[in-house]
Amino acid sequence: MDIDTDIVVVGAGPGGSLAAREAAKHGANVLLIDKKAEIGSPKRCAEGVSKSGLEELGINPDPRWIARKSTGVRLVSPDQTSVWLDEDTIDIPESGYVLERKVFDKHMAMDAARAGAKIMIRTRATAFERTDDGVIITAERMQEEVKIHAKIVIAADGPESRVGRWAGLDCNTKFNNMESCVQYEMAGLEMENNNVIQLYFGSVAPGGYTWIFPKGDDIANVGIGVLKTHTDKPAIEHLNEFIKNCPETQNAQAVEINMGGDPVGGLIKERVGDNILVVGDAAGFVNPLTGGGINSALESGAYAGIVAADAIDSGDYSAKNLQEYVKLTDENIGEGYDKYKKAKEYLLSLNDDELNDIAHEFVKQEVDEISPKTLLKLLIKVSPKALLKLGKLF
Amino acid sequence: MIVNNNCLYCGACAGVCVADAIDVQELKIVIDEEKCTKCGLCVKTCPVAAIEME
Ligand SMILES: Cc1cc2nc3c(=O)[nH]c(=O)nc-3n(C[C@H](O)[C@H](O)[C@H](O)COP(=O)(O)OP(=O)(O)OC[C@H]3O[C@@H](n4cnc5c(N)ncnc54)[C@H](O)[C@@H]3O)c2cc1C
Ligand code: SF4
Ligand code: SF4
Repeated sequence: MDIDTDIVVVGAGPGGSLAAREAAKHGANVLLIDKKAEIGSPKRCAEGVSKSGLEELGINPDPRWIARKSTGVRLVSPDQTSVWLDEDTIDIPESGYVLERKVFDKHMAMDAARAGAKIMIRTRATAFERTDDGVIITAERMQEEVKIHAKIVIAADGPESRVGRWAGLDCNTKFNNMESCVQYEMAGLEMENNNVIQLYFGSVAPGGYTWIFPKGDDIANVGIGVLKTHTDKPAIEHLNEFIKNCPETQNAQAVEINMGGDPVGGLIKERVGDNILVVGDAAGFVNPLTGGGINSALESGAYAGIVAADAIDSGDYSAKNLQEYVKLTDENIGEGYDKYKKAKEYLLSLNDDELNDIAHEFVKQEVDEISPKTLLKLLIKVSPKALLKLGKLF
Repeated sequence: MIVNNNCLYCGACAGVCVADAIDVQELKIVIDEEKCTKCGLCVKTCPVAAIEME
Protein backbone atom coordinates (compact mmCIF):
# COMPACT_ATOMS: atom_id res chain seq x y z
CA MET A 1 0.00 0.00 0.00
CA ASP A 2 1.21 3.55 -0.76
CA ILE A 3 0.16 6.57 1.27
CA ASP A 4 0.84 10.25 0.60
CA THR A 5 0.95 12.80 3.38
CA ASP A 6 2.65 16.07 4.26
CA ILE A 7 4.03 14.89 7.58
CA VAL A 8 4.48 11.42 9.02
CA VAL A 9 5.03 11.16 12.77
CA VAL A 10 6.70 7.93 13.90
CA GLY A 11 5.70 7.02 17.47
CA ALA A 12 2.54 7.94 19.36
CA GLY A 13 4.01 8.63 22.78
CA PRO A 14 3.47 12.07 24.30
CA GLY A 15 6.03 13.61 21.94
CA GLY A 16 4.55 12.20 18.76
CA SER A 17 0.93 12.87 19.66
CA LEU A 18 1.58 16.51 20.47
CA ALA A 19 3.59 16.92 17.27
CA ALA A 20 0.73 15.41 15.29
CA ARG A 21 -1.85 17.53 17.10
CA GLU A 22 -0.02 20.81 16.51
CA ALA A 23 0.95 20.06 12.91
CA ALA A 24 -2.64 19.15 12.06
CA LYS A 25 -3.95 22.20 13.87
CA HIS A 26 -1.61 24.33 11.78
CA GLY A 27 -3.06 23.00 8.57
CA ALA A 28 -0.80 20.12 7.53
CA ASN A 29 -1.89 16.63 6.47
CA VAL A 30 -0.54 14.39 9.21
CA LEU A 31 -0.22 10.64 9.65
CA LEU A 32 0.73 9.34 13.11
CA ILE A 33 1.94 5.74 13.28
CA ASP A 34 2.82 3.48 16.21
CA LYS A 35 3.88 -0.13 16.33
CA LYS A 36 1.87 -0.78 19.47
CA ALA A 37 -1.45 -2.60 19.53
CA GLU A 38 -2.59 -0.20 22.21
CA ILE A 39 -1.16 3.30 22.38
CA GLY A 40 0.40 3.87 25.81
CA SER A 41 0.72 0.21 26.72
CA PRO A 42 2.95 -1.21 28.08
CA LYS A 43 4.10 1.92 29.84
CA ARG A 44 7.79 2.65 30.40
CA CYS A 45 7.29 5.23 33.08
CA ALA A 46 6.79 6.13 36.74
CA GLU A 47 4.11 8.56 35.60
CA GLY A 48 5.08 11.71 37.52
CA VAL A 49 4.32 14.88 35.61
CA SER A 50 4.25 18.60 36.36
CA LYS A 51 0.87 20.31 36.50
CA SER A 52 2.02 23.61 35.11
CA GLY A 53 3.77 21.89 32.22
CA LEU A 54 0.47 20.40 31.08
CA GLU A 55 -1.41 23.66 31.49
CA GLU A 56 1.13 25.52 29.37
CA LEU A 57 0.40 23.17 26.49
CA GLY A 58 -3.35 23.51 26.77
CA ILE A 59 -3.82 20.03 28.20
CA ASN A 60 -6.68 20.19 30.68
CA PRO A 61 -6.43 17.80 33.62
CA ASP A 62 -8.85 14.91 33.16
CA PRO A 63 -9.71 12.58 36.05
CA ARG A 64 -9.62 9.67 33.62
CA TRP A 65 -5.85 9.88 33.35
CA ILE A 66 -4.85 11.27 36.73
CA ALA A 67 -4.24 8.49 39.23
CA ARG A 68 -3.29 10.79 42.09
CA LYS A 69 -2.15 14.28 42.94
CA SER A 70 1.15 14.61 44.72
CA THR A 71 1.77 17.44 47.15
CA GLY A 72 5.47 17.12 47.73
CA VAL A 73 8.52 14.94 47.78
CA ARG A 74 10.36 12.86 50.36
CA LEU A 75 14.09 12.46 49.82
CA VAL A 76 15.62 9.55 51.69
CA SER A 77 19.34 9.26 52.38
CA PRO A 78 21.20 5.94 52.71
CA ASP A 79 20.83 5.92 56.53
CA GLN A 80 17.06 6.47 56.07
CA THR A 81 17.05 10.12 57.08
CA SER A 82 14.05 11.73 55.40
CA VAL A 83 13.87 15.23 54.03
CA TRP A 84 10.27 16.23 53.39
CA LEU A 85 9.66 19.07 50.97
CA ASP A 86 6.26 20.27 49.96
CA GLU A 87 5.31 22.02 46.80
CA ASP A 88 4.89 25.36 48.55
CA THR A 89 8.52 25.23 49.72
CA ILE A 90 10.25 24.29 46.52
CA ASP A 91 9.53 24.02 42.86
CA ILE A 92 9.76 20.28 42.26
CA PRO A 93 10.26 19.35 38.63
CA GLU A 94 8.08 16.60 37.11
CA SER A 95 5.68 16.47 40.01
CA GLY A 96 2.11 17.37 40.70
CA TYR A 97 0.25 14.46 39.18
CA VAL A 98 0.90 10.77 38.99
CA LEU A 99 -0.68 9.77 35.71
CA GLU A 100 -2.31 6.66 34.36
CA ARG A 101 -0.10 6.74 31.27
CA LYS A 102 -1.91 4.04 29.40
CA VAL A 103 -4.96 6.28 29.45
CA PHE A 104 -3.06 9.57 29.12
CA ASP A 105 -1.09 8.56 26.02
CA LYS A 106 -4.25 7.33 24.34
CA HIS A 107 -6.00 10.61 25.12
CA MET A 108 -3.13 12.62 23.67
CA ALA A 109 -3.43 10.58 20.47
CA MET A 110 -7.20 11.14 20.46
CA ASP A 111 -6.59 14.89 20.67
CA ALA A 112 -4.31 14.58 17.64
CA ALA A 113 -7.07 12.75 15.80
CA ARG A 114 -9.58 15.45 16.75
CA ALA A 115 -7.22 18.07 15.34
CA GLY A 116 -7.32 16.16 12.04
CA ALA A 117 -4.37 13.74 12.18
CA LYS A 118 -4.82 10.23 10.82
CA ILE A 119 -3.59 7.40 13.04
CA MET A 120 -2.35 3.93 12.17
CA ILE A 121 -1.63 1.54 15.04
CA ARG A 122 0.33 -1.72 14.78
CA THR A 123 2.36 0.03 12.12
CA ARG A 124 6.09 -0.20 12.64
CA ALA A 125 8.56 1.90 10.68
CA THR A 126 11.32 -0.28 9.30
CA ALA A 127 13.21 1.92 6.86
CA PHE A 128 13.87 5.50 5.80
CA GLU A 129 14.69 6.61 2.30
CA ARG A 130 15.13 10.03 0.72
CA THR A 131 13.46 11.07 -2.53
CA ASP A 132 13.82 14.26 -4.58
CA ASP A 133 11.35 16.24 -2.54
CA GLY A 134 10.81 14.21 0.61
CA VAL A 135 11.13 10.87 2.30
CA ILE A 136 9.63 7.42 2.15
CA ILE A 137 9.05 5.65 5.44
CA THR A 138 8.54 1.95 4.93
CA ALA A 139 6.39 0.38 7.59
CA GLU A 140 5.03 -3.02 8.47
CA ARG A 141 1.36 -2.96 9.32
CA MET A 142 0.66 -6.42 10.67
CA GLN A 143 1.50 -8.52 7.58
CA GLU A 144 1.30 -5.70 5.07
CA GLU A 145 4.09 -3.45 3.81
CA VAL A 146 3.15 0.22 3.69
CA LYS A 147 5.13 2.93 1.88
CA ILE A 148 4.49 6.36 3.37
CA HIS A 149 5.54 9.21 1.09
CA ALA A 150 5.96 12.40 3.11
CA LYS A 151 7.66 15.74 2.89
CA ILE A 152 8.70 15.72 6.53
CA VAL A 153 9.12 12.97 9.11
CA ILE A 154 8.92 13.72 12.81
CA ALA A 155 10.85 11.01 14.66
CA ALA A 156 9.14 10.45 18.02
CA ASP A 157 10.21 6.86 18.45
CA GLY A 158 11.35 7.13 22.07
CA PRO A 159 14.61 5.93 23.60
CA GLU A 160 15.32 3.50 20.74
CA SER A 161 15.78 6.57 18.56
CA ARG A 162 16.33 4.69 15.33
CA VAL A 163 14.50 6.79 12.75
CA GLY A 164 16.81 9.76 13.29
CA ARG A 165 19.82 7.50 12.92
CA TRP A 166 18.45 6.08 9.68
CA ALA A 167 18.32 9.68 8.43
CA GLY A 168 21.99 10.07 9.28
CA LEU A 169 21.65 12.06 12.50
CA ASP A 170 23.93 11.30 15.41
CA CYS A 171 21.18 10.68 17.94
CA ASN A 172 21.79 7.40 19.67
CA THR A 173 22.18 7.48 23.44
CA LYS A 174 25.67 6.96 24.77
CA PHE A 175 25.90 3.94 27.04
CA ASN A 176 27.07 6.03 30.00
CA ASN A 177 23.99 8.26 29.70
CA MET A 178 21.33 5.56 29.60
CA GLU A 179 19.60 4.88 32.90
CA SER A 180 18.64 1.23 33.02
CA CYS A 181 15.19 1.19 34.62
CA VAL A 182 12.75 -1.34 35.96
CA GLN A 183 9.62 -0.87 37.98
CA TYR A 184 6.73 -2.73 39.54
CA GLU A 185 3.28 -1.34 40.02
CA MET A 186 2.41 -2.68 43.46
CA ALA A 187 -0.54 -2.90 45.82
CA GLY A 188 -0.55 -3.32 49.58
CA LEU A 189 2.14 -0.73 50.31
CA GLU A 190 2.28 0.75 53.79
CA MET A 191 3.31 4.32 53.02
CA GLU A 192 4.07 6.83 55.74
CA ASN A 193 2.62 9.51 53.47
CA ASN A 194 0.82 8.35 50.36
CA ASN A 195 0.48 11.84 48.89
CA VAL A 196 4.14 12.52 48.17
CA ILE A 197 6.55 11.04 45.70
CA GLN A 198 9.60 9.42 47.29
CA LEU A 199 13.18 9.23 46.07
CA TYR A 200 15.86 7.06 47.73
CA PHE A 201 19.49 7.93 47.02
CA GLY A 202 22.90 6.37 47.42
CA SER A 203 24.26 2.88 46.92
CA VAL A 204 20.69 1.58 46.88
CA ALA A 205 20.65 2.78 43.24
CA PRO A 206 24.15 3.37 41.82
CA GLY A 207 24.07 6.28 39.38
CA GLY A 208 20.37 6.94 39.86
CA TYR A 209 17.69 6.56 42.50
CA THR A 210 14.88 4.34 43.65
CA TRP A 211 11.38 5.76 43.62
CA ILE A 212 7.95 5.21 45.10
CA PHE A 213 5.27 7.18 43.26
CA PRO A 214 1.84 6.72 44.85
CA LYS A 215 -1.13 5.99 42.58
CA GLY A 216 -3.63 5.13 45.30
CA ASP A 217 -3.89 4.77 49.09
CA ASP A 218 -1.84 1.57 49.02
CA ILE A 219 -0.83 1.49 45.35
CA ALA A 220 2.40 2.84 43.88
CA ASN A 221 4.96 2.56 41.12
CA VAL A 222 8.10 1.25 42.81
CA GLY A 223 11.09 1.44 40.53
CA ILE A 224 14.74 2.10 40.00
CA GLY A 225 17.09 3.66 37.50
CA VAL A 226 20.80 2.81 37.56
CA LEU A 227 23.72 3.78 35.38
CA LYS A 228 25.51 0.67 34.23
CA THR A 229 28.82 2.48 34.48
CA HIS A 230 28.18 2.44 38.24
CA THR A 231 27.10 -1.16 38.86
CA ASP A 232 27.56 -4.63 37.40
CA LYS A 233 24.27 -5.97 38.71
CA PRO A 234 21.13 -5.78 36.58
CA ALA A 235 18.71 -3.06 37.70
CA ILE A 236 16.11 -5.63 38.71
CA GLU A 237 18.41 -7.15 41.34
CA HIS A 238 18.89 -3.74 42.96
CA LEU A 239 15.13 -3.16 42.90
CA ASN A 240 14.22 -6.53 44.38
CA GLU A 241 16.68 -5.94 47.18
CA PHE A 242 15.20 -2.53 47.89
CA ILE A 243 11.66 -3.89 47.99
CA LYS A 244 12.66 -6.62 50.42
CA ASN A 245 14.33 -4.13 52.78
CA CYS A 246 12.02 -1.13 52.63
CA PRO A 247 9.31 -1.29 55.30
CA GLU A 248 6.80 0.36 52.98
CA THR A 249 7.13 -2.21 50.20
CA GLN A 250 8.03 -5.40 52.09
CA ASN A 251 4.48 -6.70 52.12
CA ALA A 252 3.33 -5.28 48.80
CA GLN A 253 2.52 -7.37 45.73
CA ALA A 254 3.41 -6.53 42.15
CA VAL A 255 0.60 -6.47 39.61
CA GLU A 256 2.69 -5.20 36.70
CA ILE A 257 6.34 -4.97 35.68
CA ASN A 258 7.77 -2.29 33.40
CA MET A 259 11.21 -1.61 32.12
CA GLY A 260 12.99 0.77 29.86
CA GLY A 261 15.92 3.02 29.14
CA ASP A 262 15.92 6.65 30.17
CA PRO A 263 18.39 8.83 28.23
CA VAL A 264 19.72 11.37 30.74
CA GLY A 265 22.65 12.83 28.81
CA GLY A 266 20.86 16.03 27.78
CA LEU A 267 19.68 17.28 24.42
CA ILE A 268 21.03 15.70 21.26
CA LYS A 269 22.57 18.42 19.11
CA GLU A 270 21.56 16.94 15.76
CA ARG A 271 17.83 17.02 16.16
CA VAL A 272 16.93 18.34 12.72
CA GLY A 273 18.08 17.43 9.25
CA ASP A 274 16.64 17.90 5.79
CA ASN A 275 13.03 16.65 5.98
CA ILE A 276 13.34 15.46 9.59
CA LEU A 277 12.83 16.64 13.16
CA VAL A 278 13.47 14.49 16.23
CA VAL A 279 11.41 14.97 19.42
CA GLY A 280 11.04 13.57 22.93
CA ASP A 281 13.28 10.81 24.27
CA ALA A 282 14.59 10.17 20.78
CA ALA A 283 16.38 13.54 20.97
CA GLY A 284 17.27 13.39 24.66
CA PHE A 285 14.44 15.54 26.00
CA VAL A 286 14.74 14.14 29.50
CA ASN A 287 15.61 16.15 32.60
CA PRO A 288 19.17 14.93 33.31
CA LEU A 289 18.65 15.18 37.08
CA THR A 290 15.22 13.64 37.54
CA GLY A 291 14.94 11.47 34.45
CA GLY A 292 11.51 12.97 33.80
CA GLY A 293 10.70 13.29 30.12
CA ILE A 294 6.92 13.49 29.73
CA ASN A 295 6.66 17.25 29.96
CA SER A 296 9.53 17.93 27.61
CA ALA A 297 8.42 15.24 25.15
CA LEU A 298 5.09 17.05 24.97
CA GLU A 299 6.71 20.46 24.66
CA SER A 300 9.30 19.47 22.07
CA GLY A 301 6.58 17.68 20.12
CA ALA A 302 4.44 20.78 20.08
CA TYR A 303 7.30 22.96 18.77
CA ALA A 304 8.20 20.40 16.12
CA GLY A 305 4.60 20.15 14.95
CA ILE A 306 4.30 23.89 14.53
CA VAL A 307 7.67 24.33 12.81
CA ALA A 308 6.99 21.39 10.48
CA ALA A 309 3.55 22.71 9.52
CA ASP A 310 5.07 26.13 8.79
CA ALA A 311 7.68 24.45 6.59
CA ILE A 312 4.95 22.62 4.68
CA ASP A 313 3.26 25.95 4.19
CA SER A 314 6.40 27.57 2.82
CA GLY A 315 7.41 24.54 0.73
CA ASP A 316 10.93 24.50 2.20
CA TYR A 317 11.76 21.33 4.18
CA SER A 318 15.49 21.88 4.45
CA ALA A 319 17.38 21.56 7.72
CA LYS A 320 18.02 25.26 7.53
CA ASN A 321 14.35 26.08 7.48
CA LEU A 322 13.67 23.68 10.35
CA GLN A 323 16.34 25.27 12.59
CA GLU A 324 13.65 27.28 14.31
CA TYR A 325 12.79 24.08 16.19
CA VAL A 326 16.33 23.82 17.54
CA LYS A 327 16.22 27.44 18.64
CA LEU A 328 12.86 27.06 20.38
CA THR A 329 13.88 23.91 22.22
CA ASP A 330 17.30 25.27 23.20
CA GLU A 331 15.76 28.39 24.67
CA ASN A 332 12.80 26.82 26.39
CA ILE A 333 14.15 23.45 27.47
CA GLY A 334 17.88 23.06 26.85
CA GLU A 335 19.10 25.95 28.95
CA GLY A 336 17.40 24.57 32.05
CA TYR A 337 18.89 21.13 31.36
CA ASP A 338 22.46 22.40 31.57
CA LYS A 339 21.87 23.29 35.21
CA TYR A 340 20.16 20.01 35.98
CA LYS A 341 23.05 18.17 34.37
CA LYS A 342 25.57 19.87 36.62
CA ALA A 343 23.41 19.14 39.65
CA LYS A 344 23.25 15.49 38.60
CA GLU A 345 27.04 15.29 38.22
CA TYR A 346 27.37 16.72 41.72
CA LEU A 347 24.86 14.23 43.10
CA LEU A 348 26.73 11.35 41.50
CA SER A 349 29.97 12.52 43.10
CA LEU A 350 28.58 12.06 46.62
CA ASN A 351 29.09 8.86 48.57
CA ASP A 352 26.63 7.48 51.12
CA ASP A 353 28.26 9.29 54.06
CA GLU A 354 28.15 12.63 52.29
CA LEU A 355 24.51 12.11 51.34
CA ASN A 356 23.72 11.31 54.97
CA ASP A 357 25.53 14.44 56.18
CA ILE A 358 23.55 16.59 53.79
CA ALA A 359 20.27 15.02 54.87
CA HIS A 360 21.13 15.58 58.55
CA GLU A 361 21.90 19.22 57.88
CA PHE A 362 18.60 19.65 56.03
CA VAL A 363 16.63 18.12 58.87
CA LYS A 364 18.29 20.45 61.39
CA GLN A 365 17.32 23.49 59.41
CA GLU A 366 13.89 25.06 59.45
CA VAL A 367 13.26 25.42 55.76
CA ASP A 368 10.30 27.61 54.93
CA GLU A 369 11.35 28.45 51.47
CA ILE A 370 14.20 26.95 49.53
CA SER A 371 15.85 29.15 47.01
CA PRO A 372 18.79 27.93 45.00
CA LYS A 373 20.95 30.20 47.16
CA THR A 374 19.92 28.75 50.51
CA LEU A 375 20.27 25.30 49.06
CA LEU A 376 23.79 26.00 47.88
CA LYS A 377 24.74 27.52 51.24
CA LEU A 378 23.56 24.44 53.01
CA LEU A 379 25.40 22.11 50.65
CA ILE A 380 28.65 24.06 50.97
CA LYS A 381 28.38 23.86 54.73
CA VAL A 382 28.34 20.10 54.48
CA SER A 383 30.83 19.62 51.69
CA PRO A 384 32.98 22.35 50.19
CA LYS A 385 33.08 20.57 46.84
CA ALA A 386 29.51 21.75 46.28
CA LEU A 387 30.90 25.23 45.65
CA LEU A 388 33.28 23.88 43.09
CA LYS A 389 30.71 21.83 41.26
CA LEU A 390 27.63 23.97 41.69
CA GLY A 391 28.86 27.46 42.47
CA LYS A 392 28.63 28.76 38.93
CA LEU A 393 25.09 27.56 38.54
CA PHE A 394 23.35 30.07 40.71
CA MET B 1 23.40 -13.31 20.88
CA ILE B 2 20.58 -15.02 22.73
CA VAL B 3 17.50 -13.16 23.94
CA ASN B 4 15.80 -14.98 26.81
CA ASN B 5 12.24 -14.81 28.12
CA ASN B 6 13.00 -11.98 30.55
CA CYS B 7 12.72 -9.60 27.60
CA LEU B 8 9.72 -7.28 27.49
CA TYR B 9 10.71 -5.41 24.28
CA CYS B 10 11.36 -2.12 26.10
CA GLY B 11 14.06 -1.01 23.66
CA ALA B 12 16.67 0.18 26.17
CA CYS B 13 19.23 -2.07 24.48
CA ALA B 14 18.41 -0.74 21.01
CA GLY B 15 18.93 2.82 22.21
CA VAL B 16 22.57 2.23 23.15
CA CYS B 17 23.47 -0.07 20.26
CA VAL B 18 25.93 1.95 18.21
CA ALA B 19 25.63 -0.53 15.35
CA ASP B 20 21.83 -0.03 15.22
CA ALA B 21 21.60 -3.82 15.17
CA ILE B 22 18.56 -4.28 17.41
CA ASP B 23 15.08 -4.22 15.97
CA VAL B 24 12.39 -3.83 18.63
CA GLN B 25 9.27 -5.41 17.25
CA GLU B 26 5.92 -5.52 18.94
CA LEU B 27 6.43 -8.73 20.88
CA LYS B 28 10.07 -9.56 20.33
CA ILE B 29 13.46 -8.09 19.60
CA VAL B 30 15.61 -9.22 16.72
CA ILE B 31 19.39 -8.78 16.73
CA ASP B 32 21.03 -8.51 13.33
CA GLU B 33 24.09 -10.70 13.81
CA GLU B 34 25.72 -9.21 10.73
CA LYS B 35 25.59 -5.67 12.06
CA CYS B 36 26.38 -6.66 15.66
CA THR B 37 29.97 -5.98 16.75
CA LYS B 38 29.64 -7.99 19.99
CA CYS B 39 30.42 -4.87 22.04
CA GLY B 40 28.19 -6.10 24.86
CA LEU B 41 26.62 -2.74 25.71
CA CYS B 42 23.11 -4.10 25.19
CA VAL B 43 23.84 -6.96 27.59
CA LYS B 44 24.92 -4.48 30.25
CA THR B 45 22.07 -2.04 29.66
CA CYS B 46 19.21 -4.53 29.84
CA PRO B 47 17.49 -3.99 33.21
CA VAL B 48 16.47 -7.64 33.45
CA ALA B 49 19.49 -9.45 31.98
CA ALA B 50 17.58 -10.68 28.94
CA ILE B 51 20.48 -10.75 26.48
CA GLU B 52 23.24 -13.31 26.73
CA MET B 53 26.35 -13.50 24.60
CA GLU B 54 27.44 -16.93 23.45
C1 LIG C 1 11.04 3.26 34.15
C2 LIG C 1 10.89 4.66 33.66
C3 LIG C 1 10.29 5.60 34.49
C4 LIG C 1 10.07 6.90 34.04
N1 LIG C 1 9.41 7.77 34.85
C5 LIG C 1 9.11 9.01 34.42
C6 LIG C 1 8.34 9.91 35.23
O1 LIG C 1 7.90 9.58 36.34
N2 LIG C 1 8.07 11.13 34.74
C7 LIG C 1 8.49 11.53 33.52
O2 LIG C 1 8.21 12.68 33.12
N3 LIG C 1 9.21 10.71 32.72
C8 LIG C 1 9.51 9.45 33.14
N4 LIG C 1 10.23 8.60 32.33
C9 LIG C 1 10.57 9.05 30.97
C10 LIG C 1 9.34 9.07 30.08
O3 LIG C 1 8.68 7.83 30.12
C11 LIG C 1 9.74 9.41 28.65
O4 LIG C 1 10.55 10.56 28.68
C12 LIG C 1 8.55 9.67 27.74
O5 LIG C 1 7.72 8.56 27.60
C13 LIG C 1 9.06 10.10 26.37
O6 LIG C 1 8.00 10.27 25.48
P1 LIG C 1 8.23 10.07 23.93
O7 LIG C 1 6.96 10.44 23.27
O8 LIG C 1 9.47 10.74 23.50
O9 LIG C 1 8.53 8.53 23.73
P2 LIG C 1 7.73 7.22 24.15
O10 LIG C 1 6.73 7.51 25.17
O11 LIG C 1 8.76 6.21 24.44
O12 LIG C 1 6.96 6.83 22.82
C14 LIG C 1 7.60 6.35 21.71
C15 LIG C 1 6.61 5.61 20.87
O13 LIG C 1 7.19 5.27 19.62
C16 LIG C 1 6.78 4.00 19.23
N5 LIG C 1 7.79 3.48 18.30
C17 LIG C 1 9.10 3.26 18.51
N6 LIG C 1 9.69 2.80 17.40
C18 LIG C 1 8.73 2.74 16.44
C19 LIG C 1 8.73 2.35 15.08
N7 LIG C 1 9.84 1.92 14.47
N8 LIG C 1 7.58 2.41 14.41
C20 LIG C 1 6.44 2.84 15.01
N9 LIG C 1 6.37 3.22 16.30
C21 LIG C 1 7.51 3.18 17.01
C22 LIG C 1 6.70 3.23 20.54
O14 LIG C 1 5.83 2.13 20.41
C23 LIG C 1 6.16 4.29 21.48
O15 LIG C 1 4.76 4.27 21.56
C24 LIG C 1 10.50 7.30 32.75
C25 LIG C 1 11.15 6.36 31.94
C26 LIG C 1 11.35 5.06 32.38
C27 LIG C 1 12.02 4.09 31.48
S1 SF4 D 1 16.66 -3.95 27.19
FE1 SF4 D 1 16.28 -6.09 27.76
S2 SF4 D 1 14.07 -6.19 28.11
FE2 SF4 D 1 14.47 -4.29 27.00
S3 SF4 D 1 14.20 -4.89 24.83
FE3 SF4 D 1 16.38 -5.08 25.27
S4 SF4 D 1 16.62 -7.22 25.88
FE4 SF4 D 1 14.45 -6.80 25.98
S1 SF4 E 1 26.54 -6.43 21.35
FE1 SF4 E 1 26.79 -4.25 20.81
S2 SF4 E 1 26.56 -4.21 18.59
FE2 SF4 E 1 25.76 -6.18 19.26
S3 SF4 E 1 23.57 -5.82 19.51
FE3 SF4 E 1 24.52 -5.49 21.51
S4 SF4 E 1 24.92 -3.29 21.58
FE4 SF4 E 1 24.54 -3.81 19.43
